[in-house]
Amino acid sequence: MVESIVSTGLAIGCIYALIGITYNVMFSASRVFSFTAGTLGMLGGVLGSLFIARLGLPVAVGFLLALAGGVLLGIVTEIVAVRPVLKSLDQHLYVLSTLALALMVQQFTAIEWGTEARPFPRLFDIARGGFDQEFWLPMLACLTVIVGLELLYRHTLIGRAFLAIAEDTYAARALGLPERSLRMASYALAGAIGALAGFAGGEMLLAFFGNGPMLTFYGFVPVALGGMGNNRGAVVAGLLLGLFQQTANFLVGGIFASVAVFTVFIIVLLARPEGLAGAAVQRRV
Amino acid sequence: MSLTRRQALQSAGAIVVASGLAKPAIAAKDPIPVGYLPALTGPSSSTGVGINRGIQLAVKEINDAGGIDGRQLELITRDTQSDPTKAVNGAAELTRGQKVSVVFGPVNSGESLAVVPLLARTNTPQVHPCWVDSLTDPQKYPMCFRNAPTNQQIGGAANRYVLEVLKRKKVAVISDTTGYGTASVNAYVPMLKSKGADVVYQGNVDAANPDLKPELLRMQSAGAEAIMPWSVNAGFLSRIINTRGDMGWDVPIVGQTTLGSGQTKDLLEKPEFWAKVYPNNFRPVCYAPGGKLTDRTAAFLDRLKSAKIDMGDTLLWWIALGYDSPRLIAEAMKSVGTEPDAIVGYLNKLKGFPGVYGDISFTADKHDGYPDDEVVMVEANSLKDGAFNLAPGYSA
Amino acid sequence: MDAPMTQVRPSRADTLGATSTLGVALPFLALLVIGVTLPLFGGGYWGVIATRACVYWVLVSGLNLVVGFAGQIAIGWVALLTLGAYTTSVLAAGNVMPSLSPYLALAIAAVVGAIFGLIVGLPALRLRTFYFAITTLGFATIVTQVALAWQSVTGGGVGVAGPIFPKPFDSQWGFYYFCFGLAAICTWMTANIAASRFGRALTAIRDAEVAAEACGIAKPPLLALVFLFSGAVAAIAGGLFASLQSYITPDAFTLDLSVLFFIAILIGGRSSILGPLLGTILLTVLPEFAAPLVAWSTFLYAVLLLVIVLAMPGGIAELLDFKNRRPLESGRAIVPRPELLDRLLAAPADGGAGALTLEQVALAFGGVHAIDGLDLEIRSGQIHGLIGPNGSGKTTTLNVISGYYAQQSGAVRLNGAALPVLERHRRAHMRIARTFQTPRIVGSASVLQNVMIGGTIDGKCTFVESLLSLPRHRRDEVLLRDTAMLALSAVGLERLAPVRADRLQHSELRFTEIARALMLRPAFLLLDEPAAGLSAEEIGRLGALVVAIARAGTGVLLVEHHADLIFDICHHVTVLNLGKNLAAGTPADIRSHREVVNAYLGG
Repeated sequence: MVESIVSTGLAIGCIYALIGITYNVMFSASRVFSFTAGTLGMLGGVLGSLFIARLGLPVAVGFLLALAGGVLLGIVTEIVAVRPVLKSLDQHLYVLSTLALALMVQQFTAIEWGTEARPFPRLFDIARGGFDQEFWLPMLACLTVIVGLELLYRHTLIGRAFLAIAEDTYAARALGLPERSLRMASYALAGAIGALAGFAGGEMLLAFFGNGPMLTFYGFVPVALGGMGNNRGAVVAGLLLGLFQQTANFLVGGIFASVAVFTVFIIVLLARPEGLAGAAVQRRV
Repeated sequence: MSLTRRQALQSAGAIVVASGLAKPAIAAKDPIPVGYLPALTGPSSSTGVGINRGIQLAVKEINDAGGIDGRQLELITRDTQSDPTKAVNGAAELTRGQKVSVVFGPVNSGESLAVVPLLARTNTPQVHPCWVDSLTDPQKYPMCFRNAPTNQQIGGAANRYVLEVLKRKKVAVISDTTGYGTASVNAYVPMLKSKGADVVYQGNVDAANPDLKPELLRMQSAGAEAIMPWSVNAGFLSRIINTRGDMGWDVPIVGQTTLGSGQTKDLLEKPEFWAKVYPNNFRPVCYAPGGKLTDRTAAFLDRLKSAKIDMGDTLLWWIALGYDSPRLIAEAMKSVGTEPDAIVGYLNKLKGFPGVYGDISFTADKHDGYPDDEVVMVEANSLKDGAFNLAPGYSA
Repeated sequence: MDAPMTQVRPSRADTLGATSTLGVALPFLALLVIGVTLPLFGGGYWGVIATRACVYWVLVSGLNLVVGFAGQIAIGWVALLTLGAYTTSVLAAGNVMPSLSPYLALAIAAVVGAIFGLIVGLPALRLRTFYFAITTLGFATIVTQVALAWQSVTGGGVGVAGPIFPKPFDSQWGFYYFCFGLAAICTWMTANIAASRFGRALTAIRDAEVAAEACGIAKPPLLALVFLFSGAVAAIAGGLFASLQSYITPDAFTLDLSVLFFIAILIGGRSSILGPLLGTILLTVLPEFAAPLVAWSTFLYAVLLLVIVLAMPGGIAELLDFKNRRPLESGRAIVPRPELLDRLLAAPADGGAGALTLEQVALAFGGVHAIDGLDLEIRSGQIHGLIGPNGSGKTTTLNVISGYYAQQSGAVRLNGAALPVLERHRRAHMRIARTFQTPRIVGSASVLQNVMIGGTIDGKCTFVESLLSLPRHRRDEVLLRDTAMLALSAVGLERLAPVRADRLQHSELRFTEIARALMLRPAFLLLDEPAAGLSAEEIGRLGALVVAIARAGTGVLLVEHHADLIFDICHHVTVLNLGKNLAAGTPADIRSHREVVNAYLGG
């Protein structure tokens, strides 16, 4: 049992962490949280199943198409739901516009793909059992993304440009950085990461439209606990969340486990609203 | 693969073409509105989709043959989407808005729990195929009839199979969190205990939960010797079967009829996982020990084939039940007309209505119409042309 | 300066008031008539739909105060519906204790709902917008899961039968009238709150929180009241819902339902009662027109929400706001009438003369010494100017006095007594008022309402009295309105009183802020760069106004860049540089002070 808890918990924790990173990348580029992060995860699984299982395309092609789908949704989020409301004084509008977009994609998937969880194809034709691919695929994805982002931010010009607009938009603009294109690129990147999370986690979570709201919530917990914009915090918090959730699942069963997770999350958040690793935000007067 | 409405219409259209009948002359009299509350979409739609195919075929045949005294039967459908709230809305619209003579459905117990009292208040006769015991009550709901078995009948057959034929004592009972699932567990666990079984695990799990390993591991460590799942959700059931296979755990799975549906089969990881799975089913639509079907059923299968109705992703008995139900209602109306009290009076005296999937009888005190001895257990992987063999060792 | 008008004309706001009250009431009356006469022309089916709309509106009317007025993104409020539905049903059915009368069950459910409304809502005080939205979703899921798990009480997946109300409400139309009556009462109550100081305070917290605090509005108690009320009516709606359904299971309380409530408010528009009411009716009725649409209903709601957010954030309310489509006269001038200030700023009972002093106040942000040992004294009836280059600590000083920042050493004293740090919402009670560098107003409210916000703490009626429109509430409103009109007349903006504030020019907003500050009858008024963006003529009028305010007994601290204004009207001037007091004295002293000239004024 313990090995089941650990393997499942870490794997699912990696998926949550990746969605948390998706939130963070979007947040870094726009200081806005988007409800579409969880939807991206859901799409990664659904598109993967659609292209590979239903349409019979090869795994690599299906993978790239699923990522492309995520990139597309990321860009659409930026253009439709984020850019128009950033200019407005009303701070909360982005919550509504991204919620609306996420709901639209969600419902469309529910109607066209169906409300039943469909199986996700087996990506590598290895026998089941032991440390199965459904466990190490999410972990591999998480590791790749972390290393990739690190390299991107530290060693490439565009990565440093991303960091610049995250730090201080005005200064970056003054330096001549094309803020809008960079933001769109950030959202595209976030879209790819989210879709990757769903694709890598597909064998575990299946291709299910209901994964959207689930990942929106559970993917946000690492952000809230790890601190906004803090990717390392998101990973640690994600893994802890995954392990906690699975332990509860195995010990007391599904219903009580989710109640436990929600309650602990809300309590921790009330105790430290800026997250366990975040910094309190000053208000401009 | 869920049936989209487009596909349903297409198969209805195909029936028109294939049957080759000339379009009947439009009756000068008004059509008879019959309300119909299936769950065609949503998580509990497998039953509704299957039943729908049978119903559409039957209504078409009745209308092509002239309807009821020249009046066409008009089926007014409101998809409940597996949602009790929408079922209530739909029922209200059918009775108050469309003023239907009879309502068939809902087909899921969770929705019926809400709709049955509502229809009783509007004095609308109702026929439904839901299993939860409390859904008929000749005193409280004198106009509500069930043309399908009850949980008591189903559970009795399944429990008997596990305890007396397979001779297992430690049982795990699992279902989903729908009204049907919860009511079933609540009904079956006491039934098992009263027969001396040791229920080592009982639980309700969210049907959408993708990972049932924790539950099965708990069953295994509690020493379960048989798993009894009660759910109409093919995804949920397939995941139980797949997890058992992945774990390499050799225990029989005995339970809900949907375990044998083509939809469940399509979701299995390996075809061999379908071994040692024993769902309940109904004798008239199964192969008798000699391997033959009854004449009535064989003829019905032919009719389905020529109407090009797909059976591969569903269960034959659902289609048969769907086929029988409008015919039952049409019989009533042909005999006594469309007044509610007359229909109820007719049904209260119904003896042995010859349905494809079973002979239905009602009395004024008993509104559960399905005969006890027609409920049987079958072997899932013996599925051939929509019908099953009886489960090994089954003789009752 | 122009010659002021010779008399106070009956303001256009007053005459507009009478007709606009009728105009405001007309749609509600129309809905009332339609609702009451529905059985005559609508069939039984539409009766069910109408009953459902009434039940939903009971919940949405309360949620409207939370989402529309207070601006809290409580997406998961369906949790309260679930709670109310189960509480009422279980108590009426007698599962756990002997069965109670449905009315009593409903009342108990309301109490339970109020308590849980508070529990679900209070995180809003600690959490940022998005975080709070997510936690409400979490609560919604928890409540559903508990309903599923607690089989012995709720029946788990099997569910429970809903309550049946006794005659005359047990028939279909009887029950409809019951729900309609409750919906009408909720409409009336929430409309009362909207037109009370509580409603205005909520919008202030939502759109101008910093300014709201300066007006003495404390967020926690106000939000707590709103959550209690909203939770209670949501639970009542739950009980009615259970009765309408005749049977409830946990899966009847879907996220889709929660989204419906939420979107109805946003489509309707914030700070409106009529808008969300129409929105609720629209969203309930829409899917019924086309059965094929039912499956797409949530998708359509989401599209509607997106369109509203992008194209018309004001929603239906903005669409129906004909009053504010009329063009404003161009070339408007702000003509203050300082003689009215005597009536407005009548000396308070506790005497008047006093001083606001800073003693060696120091505050550093990291390594930057924003204020470095500052001494300052503002005396009643005098205007004290505070000037200096950018970054010299002027606004920081103001923020310390008004309680937004805490000094690290030194003291701020009012008449000798040290002011407690960081108690910005208490400053108003001490009659210390301020304006802001960038005008902070509620754009969607009228100018008059914005100014009335300034007098919030002078209201005496309680929340319940406002809810029920009791006499003390009405007296408060009349008094606040009259005072606000007086303040607006004093600053010269009375003609713009009914206009929505976001249509005003920048200079008019500055004067509006001053009018709002004057509502407190301040002993001390802190002005943060009020002349920024004003034309030369307006600056002159501003100066005259400030002089008159000081003459009426108020001590004024004027932080400014316009040196001419400072030298024109100030009695004392302090010059700040790098947080330190560079020079202090009369304007004449400062103008010739060499260091000041070098550092700031220029040759």
